[in-house]
This record gives sequence, C-alpha cells and structure tokens, in this order.
Amino acid sequence: MASHQVILFDQLTETYVPAELIESIDEAHLQAVDTTWMPVLLRRLQQLVDQGTPRADWPQSSHWDWRQKTERIRGLLAFRTLALTCNGQLQGLMQVNTASVSRIPDQTGKHLTYIDYLESAPWNRLEVVTQPKFKGVGSVLMRAAIEISHEEGFQGRIGLHSLPRSEPFYGRCGMSDLGIDGNYENLRYFEMTSAQAATFSGKEPL
Amino acid sequence: MKKTMTLNLTDAEMQVLEQLSGKKDLTKTAVLRQALKLYQLVDVRLQQGGKLFFEDDATKEKAELMVL
Repeated sequence: MASHQVILFDQLTETYVPAELIESIDEAHLQAVDTTWMPVLLRRLQQLVDQGTPRADWPQSSHWDWRQKTERIRGLLAFRTLALTCNGQLQGLMQVNTASVSRIPDQTGKHLTYIDYLESAPWNRLEVVTQPKFKGVGSVLMRAAIEISHEEGFQGRIGLHSLPRSEPFYGRCGMSDLGIDGNYENLRYFEMTSAQAATFSGKEPL
Repeated sequence: MKKTMTLNLTDAEMQVLEQLSGKKDLTKTAVLRQALKLYQLVDVRLQQGGKLFFEDDATKEKAELMVL
C-alpha cells in the first residue's frame, strides 16, 4: 500500500468525490495539521471556553499532537502511518501498530493490526462544526487498517481502544466490544475478527 | 520494494519456526517479520534506557528479561 484511490461523500454537495490514501504521514501532512486543522479546532475550543463548556465536552482528540506521535515511532518497523487527502486538503490521519495481539478468546495471542490513533479533519466532525464536510473518513481508514492486517498476514484482524464518543461508530462497524480496559485509561477496547472484517469491508461507508 | 534472501536454519530453529507459524496462524515469513519488528522495538527501547519485564498476572511479580 503506497497510494490508493478511495471515495468520500461530500455532505454539503451530496456527491461522492475521489480521495487519496497515502502511506505514510510526511512533513507536508504535519504542516497541514498545523495550518489547516488547528485554526478550525482552536476557533471551536475558544467558543467552548467562552460558553463555559466543561473540558469533558470538548472535542475528544483536541489534545493529540501528530508531530510528537510520528516522531516517537520514527524508523520503527512495527508502526505504519496513513494520510487521507481530498480536494487538496488533509482529511484524516491514522497510526497503526502491527506488533499487537488479539484478546478475543478463540483467537487470543494471534497477531492483529492495532489502531493507535485515527482522526478525521476538524471540519468533518460534528463536535467541531455544525455541518461536517466529508463522510466516510473513519470507514476508509478502518478499511485501510484491515488491508494492512491482510498484508501482514493477520487475516483482517484489527483492534483499538475507542475514545468515548467514538464507541457507537466502532459498534456500527461490527467490532466486538470487549469492555472497559482498566489498564488503558479506562477506554473501551474493541476488536474485529477476520469474519467481521470481511463483513465490514463489503459494507457501504458508514 | 521487497527483497528476497536465503535463510539457513538448524533443524531445531526450523522446528520452532514451524511451531510458531502454526500457533500464530502466520506464514513462516510473517513470523520472521514479526520477530524482526519486536527485536527492533525492544532494542530501541533498551537503548533509550527502558527495561523489559514480564509480570505474573496472578502475583503481579515482575521479572526483568535480560536482552544482550
């Protein structure tokens, strides 16, 4: 997987548009986070501060620092990163770990692709803007994680810890909910088996 | 771009590779690629001053794994 053509749904024009999935996250993508994502996010955070909104209700990944995350894994074979672009803009980012193992009882110890981080651009998220632009960023990146799982020989198995407001999305993806993980910031852990991955890959974008 | 190499293993090494391949449901190539990833990960963390421990789930007893 070096670069793939994919499709996103533009919710403002109600049309499907071509997008590009690129391996891996490079300096231009990190600069796009600084120059295009952050101004939108910071504007929203300022609104929330002005409204006195509790921090728990702020956009849930607003503290993520992609430059720091990618720097931490530079050169490590176990990690792979992806960027999704459309209309000349960065629409999503993902980091996966391919040295992780399954927790589902009948496949315990078998390898899977673990999604460390997955984030859509702020203008695609209802928690940031009132009319999100593109739909399908999460689904495209989930499919990419499944594809990486196949490439690594893991037969589509993937896993992740979900931020609280993303839990319904991963449920709709057909992942198994293995409950709150007390050893990982009390986040809920989800896993997708090979069979669930095959079903999800055949679905329309969520 | 993938590159091909010939790997010479003893009978014992091949037996372990085959066992892991079956147990992990991976091809032998995939097992070796996983081993390389993990070896690199551990090596980098140790170079950064980290230590590698195994923890007994029941007793919470920790044993440091010496990696030379």
